Amino acid sequence: MKDSCSSVSRLLEKYFDQEATSKERALVEAHLAGCPACQDALKWMGHCRDSLKVPIETALQKEDFERSWQNIRREIQIREKSSWRESIQSWLELSGLFRKKVWVPAVAVAAILVLLTTQVFFEEASFVALPDVEYVDSSYNVMVYPIERGKITVIWLFEGQEMEAPPS
Amino acid sequence: MRRIPLVLPLGLILVLLFASTAPTQMNVRLRVIQASNIGRAVDPSLRDLHGQMGSLFNFTSYRLFRQDDLSLYPGLPTSIQVRPGRYIEVTLVQEYREGAEVRIRVILEGKDILNAMVRLSPGRTVLIGGPRHAGWVTIFALSPARY
Repeated sequence: MKDSCSSVSRLLEKYFDQEATSKERALVEAHLAGCPACQDALKWMGHCRDSLKVPIETALQKEDFERSWQNIRREIQIREKSSWRESIQSWLELSGLFRKKVWVPAVAVAAILVLLTTQVFFEEASFVALPDVEYVDSSYNVMVYPIERGKITVIWLFEGQEMEAPPS
Repeated sequence: MRRIPLVLPLGLILVLLFASTAPTQMNVRLRVIQASNIGRAVDPSLRDLHGQMGSLFNFTSYRLFRQDDLSLYPGLPTSIQVRPGRYIEVTLVQEYREGAEVRIRVILEGKDILNAMVRLSPGRTVLIGGPRHAGWVTIFALSPARY
C-alpha cells in the first residue's frame, strides 16, 4: 500500500490540476477509493487552493488593471520624450471616450455644420458686397447707373448717340 | 439599439444636405411703368419709386401699366407679356438669405433686346428702361416682394 501511495502521489498533483490522462485518472481514483491518506492529501490540496484563491480574487477585483496599464504607458511615453504628435495620438488612444469611436458621428455632424455655416456666411458676405448688376448684354446701347444712396440701379437702353433719359 | 446613435447623426446630415440643396422659392414684385413727357400725372402706387425716378429721369408722367408678384423657382423662367410682341422673362438663378441672383430677358418681336443678370436684395430696386417708343418709355421695376 505504501509503495502504491508513493507511486500515486506523483500523479495526485496532476489529477488535482486535471492534467492527468484518462488512464492515470482511473489509476488514481482506484487508489483513492481504498486509501484515506491520499484522500486527505487531495483534500489538503483543495483546502490550500481555496485559501489562496479567495484573497487573490479579492485583490484582483480591487485592482484596476486598465488604469494601471494606462499609467504604465504614460510613464513609458514620458520617459521616451515623445513628440507632440505622438502625445496627442497616445492621449486619444488612452482616453476611453475616444477609444469607443462614439465621437466620430458627432464630429462629422459638427464639421458639416461648420462647413455649411461658413459657406452661407461667405456667400452672404460676398452677396452684400457685390453690385446689383452682374452682366448686361443688349442689341441696344446700354448704360448702368448704380445709385448707392437711393438704393436703385438703372439699366437703360437707348438707340444711337443720344441718351433718352440722362440722369439729372 | 446600438445603431441608433449612428442613425441619428446620419439622418441629421442627410436633412442638412437636403435643406442646403433643396430648391427654394422667391417672390419678386415686377412693376411695368410707362413714362413720358405727356402730362404731369404720377400713379399713386408709384410714390415709393417716384422720388427716386424723379431725380434720375426727366419724365413728367409715370403710369403703372401692370404689377405682378412673381413666384420664382430656381431655373424656371417666368414670362410676362407687356404688349404684343414684347415680353420680360425672369428666372431665379440662385437665392441667398439676403437676396437673389435673377436673370432677366427682354424680348421684342422674338429677339432678345436685353439679357442681364442682376442681384435683388431687400430695400433695393433694379429699373430697366428704354428704348423710347412712340413718345414714351417702358420701365421695368424689379424688387424682392418679401424678406
